Amino acid sequence: MNFFALSFVSPWVLFALLALPLLWWLLRVTPPAPLVERFPAIQLLRDLLVVEETPAHTSWWLLALRVLAAGFVILAIARPVLDAGAAFGGSGPVLLVIDDGWASAGDFPLRAQAASGVLDRAERAGRGVALLFTATSEIGAKPVVSPVLPIPEARARLSALRPKSWAPDRASALAALAGWAQPGTSVVFVSDELTHGSDFAAFAAALTRIGGVTKICCETPVPAGRVLLPPRLEAERLVARLAQAPQAVPSSHVVLAQSGDGRSLGRVVIQVPAGAGSGEAAIVLPPELRNRLERLVIEGTPSVASVALLDERWRHRPVGLLAGDIISAEAPLTGPLFYLRRALAPYAELRQGTIEALLGRDLSVLVLADRVVSEGAERTALLQWVEKGGLLVRFAGPRMAEASQVAARLSRVDPLLPVRLLAGDRQLGGALSWNQPVALAAFPAASPFAGLPVPDEVRVSRQVLAEPTAQLAEHSWAALADGTPLVTEAVRGAGRIVLFHVTANADWSDLPLSGLFVEMLRRLVQVSVGVGSPLSGTVLAPAESLDGFGLLGASPPAARGLAAEAFAATPVSAAHPPGLYGAENSRQALNLGNQLPEPEAAPAISGARIESLVGGALERALGPWLMAASVALLVLDMLIGLMMRGLLGRRVVAVGLVLLLPVRGVVAQEARAQEAPALATRLGYIVTGDARVDGITQQGLSGLSNYVNQRAAAALAAPDAVIPGLDDLSFYPLLYWPIIAEAAPLDAAAQTALNEYMSRGGIILIDTRGSGTGEGFAPGTEAALERLATGLVVPPLIPLDNEHVLARAFYLLGEFPGRFGGGSVWVQREQDRANDSVSPVIIGGHDWASAWAVDGAGRNPYATVPGGVRQRQLAYRFGVNLVMYALTGNYKGDQVHVPAILERLGQ
Amino acid sequence: MADALIHPWVFARRAEALGARLPPLMVAAERVAATVAEGVHGRRRVGLGDSFWQFRPFLPGDEARRIDWRKSAKSDRAFVRETEWEVAQTVFLWADASASMRWHSHAAAVEKRERAEILLLALALLLLRGGERVVLMRPGARALSGRVGLEQLAGELLEGDDEGVGLPPRVNLPRHARVVLFGDFLAPLTEIQSEIGRLASVPVSGHAVQILDPAEALLPYAGRVRFEGLEREAPLLIPRVDVLREAYAEKLAAQQDGLRAICGAAGFGFAVHRTDHVPEAALLALYAALATR
Repeated sequence: MNFFALSFVSPWVLFALLALPLLWWLLRVTPPAPLVERFPAIQLLRDLLVVEETPAHTSWWLLALRVLAAGFVILAIARPVLDAGAAFGGSGPVLLVIDDGWASAGDFPLRAQAASGVLDRAERAGRGVALLFTATSEIGAKPVVSPVLPIPEARARLSALRPKSWAPDRASALAALAGWAQPGTSVVFVSDELTHGSDFAAFAAALTRIGGVTKICCETPVPAGRVLLPPRLEAERLVARLAQAPQAVPSSHVVLAQSGDGRSLGRVVIQVPAGAGSGEAAIVLPPELRNRLERLVIEGTPSVASVALLDERWRHRPVGLLAGDIISAEAPLTGPLFYLRRALAPYAELRQGTIEALLGRDLSVLVLADRVVSEGAERTALLQWVEKGGLLVRFAGPRMAEASQVAARLSRVDPLLPVRLLAGDRQLGGALSWNQPVALAAFPAASPFAGLPVPDEVRVSRQVLAEPTAQLAEHSWAALADGTPLVTEAVRGAGRIVLFHVTANADWSDLPLSGLFVEMLRRLVQVSVGVGSPLSGTVLAPAESLDGFGLLGASPPAARGLAAEAFAATPVSAAHPPGLYGAENSRQALNLGNQLPEPEAAPAISGARIESLVGGALERALGPWLMAASVALLVLDMLIGLMMRGLLGRRVVAVGLVLLLPVRGVVAQEARAQEAPALATRLGYIVTGDARVDGITQQGLSGLSNYVNQRAAAALAAPDAVIPGLDDLSFYPLLYWPIIAEAAPLDAAAQTALNEYMSRGGIILIDTRGSGTGEGFAPGTEAALERLATGLVVPPLIPLDNEHVLARAFYLLGEFPGRFGGGSVWVQREQDRANDSVSPVIIGGHDWASAWAVDGAGRNPYATVPGGVRQRQLAYRFGVNLVMYALTGNYKGDQVHVPAILERLGQ
Repeated sequence: MADALIHPWVFARRAEALGARLPPLMVAAERVAATVAEGVHGRRRVGLGDSFWQFRPFLPGDEARRIDWRKSAKSDRAFVRETEWEVAQTVFLWADASASMRWHSHAAAVEKRERAEILLLALALLLLRGGERVVLMRPGARALSGRVGLEQLAGELLEGDDEGVGLPPRVNLPRHARVVLFGDFLAPLTEIQSEIGRLASVPVSGHAVQILDPAEALLPYAGRVRFEGLEREAPLLIPRVDVLREAYAEKLAAQQDGLRAICGAAGFGFAVHRTDHVPEAALLALYAALATR
């Protein structure tokens, strides 16, 4: 980088620098004006004058300061420019060709900056600029060369330029260039380094024919032509794929799988080896999470090429369940739906109802467990649904066996079976049978179950048998070790029928008991077509489109609808921008990577001068900075002048100098509700630093305060968070202190503050949040409490009983549960008469705050353990007693003697 | 200081203005005097007078007729009745009214002249309460006594708007009279010495209180300052006042030492009072000094 590449826009102004010595002389002879004071003792001063001789001149450094400021002003007016770029050849207009397709989005700011730099240079050379943007515009206009524009207008057009989410149209750009005939043109090409089709060579030739080419490209932070292809759906995983123009060095790219609200649910790194054009990596997520994915993005600069939208094709499938015997079907361990529900629920949305109700909504898979569908409307509807693309999974069973017998006798064919069944069923292994239950054979390669491990322990003891035909093997997805099919399938229209030859419960086989069952069903569901797959021929209107930066927004005006079946074969263009198409509930995604030709690096343009996009000619105007420096110097001069005349205290000068310095961000003190703690009675809690625990405590004390306000005369304001040692604790009658396991020991200031607080009558409720029934909820807090309490003056403690004032301060309580019951609460032994024997510390582990907590919706977000309304009520009552105890001390303790007093009064 | 040529209307206006200023001045003086009167008990000493002072045992040498028989009859010893010394003395008071006294700096709230007047009146109040007579040191002034005397004194004090030269006027004083002078005493020492010496030759004794503004005492200015006098002195431009501060302090100390020496030689007491200090302290010291002499 040329360090001294400094040039001036108006160099003649620099002659004014010659006047600086004159300025020096002028300043030297003018002393500053004195301050005028009236003073009676002037006579005494007059006699002293011989002591100090008057310096008539301003000191040299002040002069230098002023001359420097003047010099800065002159330099600033001369408009110096640092790192001005080289001039272009030719003398005519500059033709600025900019690739604004998808590949330019990743580093678009750099490109815009480079283009702006070109305009700066053209402006200095006094040349006009013609613009050519090579991608079709948002309104569908083909690329055209603009007329030669004055620089401000070109600047305006350039600032309105946004990257498109489709590829540049080299052929149209070529046609636009053909009409250009201006002598002396120099061409500047801001290239995205991709060919975008076969016309690049002709395009490059057209550029060189017009004039000397300067190509601005290269060394971009984003690899040229990197694009995230639509992910491939595999059985268990989503495979993120990426393509780019082959690079000489290996690269790695981070792909984030994001849900609709922008949270990243998964993260994989795709490694692309040197010289390779593509790479992929599998995203393995639990089905629940995978179903929530809405897009994959490449981490880093946002661009349409780094986004792949996911639609229903990558989503979960609703599964309908229907059993023959509805009453016993749900019975635990015996009903077929019990097993099916267990197997499918984790990753599929399950629905139940009549066939009519189920098919009334979008449904991918319908599972019939030993349900015979007799002729009639039901069967017709089912058949229609299967023809449209539904996946019907049937399980055999006694009813089906019986129906097959009837069907065989009447030689009828059940169209809802993939294969014809033999009458009745086959029993393997039984009291009167020689043969044994049979294990499973390995899955055939063509089966969707291929690759699943076959457990040895699965035995089939009973099944329905398919009529042996030549095609039976093709139709069978799973078979027993003896070759009889276990799962058969048949295609019906766009859909499919699958039959398990055993029951969905454990009556006929061990299959439903094994993990294999779950895996098989999962694979089956993935085989199914997504819901709401629109009918062929439906044209889907563009709903939301990705712009060049990969943000979803309104579709550009040129966007047109796209036929549903054409999605797979349509490359993106201005007419079909990438984005979401179709109605709200069945969006189809069209991605840039769809049908995109492999990105191919553009060959070098012969004879072109190459400028780098990154390290290149970034011009910096120094004028404004010089002007600012000059103003700062003059302000400094003024301050010094004021100080010399005694008008300013030194402190004021220091403040002024500090103000001149750039103001750094002031670290904001953590804003806590400490506005005026003394103005209202309020509870306090000690901040633990664990945001979750502090949130619970805040909610809990708010809930308790509200409860107390409703039921007692006490009026408590919203609770405060306090930090002992920093905040004044004396305003709070009661401090709640939840202990967290990782609590750091108290520092000296905090210890002093807490001890002081306790000795002055404050009460601290220490909660280890894990005793009694909550044993194990907060491991390590007891140890933490020991650690914390070492410096605290804790009096001897006894378990709280119902004779204690705390048990009768407002309600009469026999137990003191919080979120957890049981366990003991510890209070000071009642022999110390200090502070009216009010215990300064109450220690328990019942997580009271959680029991008291009320969230924004007015609910109690934390369940009590073991539970019940009663326990929560008791928790609140304990809280009320606690507040009363804190506010009134042992006042209620005196009431213990009321009977005796009454008796005495009666006498 | 009645000027017969002044139009009666003008005179009335001036009296009105004085009346407006008088009560606060009186109040301030009384407030200052009240604190002192409680601290010091007048001239409570044995002397010629009517009021009873004390009984003391009869000592050889006492005249026998001085024995108080009524008292002595109560015991075996003879007691002598002593009366309090009561003698009315005339105290001449003067406050500098020159232009240089009508000034205060930012550091002080009151003008030097106002402070001088307050001190003068408060002292007069104390003296009048003690039965003394006070006279303003001014040609034609009358000796005043009693509560009414104080008000007359205040009226006379405010009436006199003379642009003095910063030194007491030449008034015929009785021998051995007491004189109290309030002023800034910034005039050249030789002038002051001639004036004090003239007083001492009468002979009279008394006190001089130098009243200074804190700015005069400390010279708190800095930087390039043009000083202008208040008594038509030529202005003085000083480039860096802060450099001069120490030299000024020495100069002022020399002036005060000179004053102290002049006063000491003439049998006068000398004290310095700064207007940012409370007047009570100065008054107490002054009154105590007057009482003991």
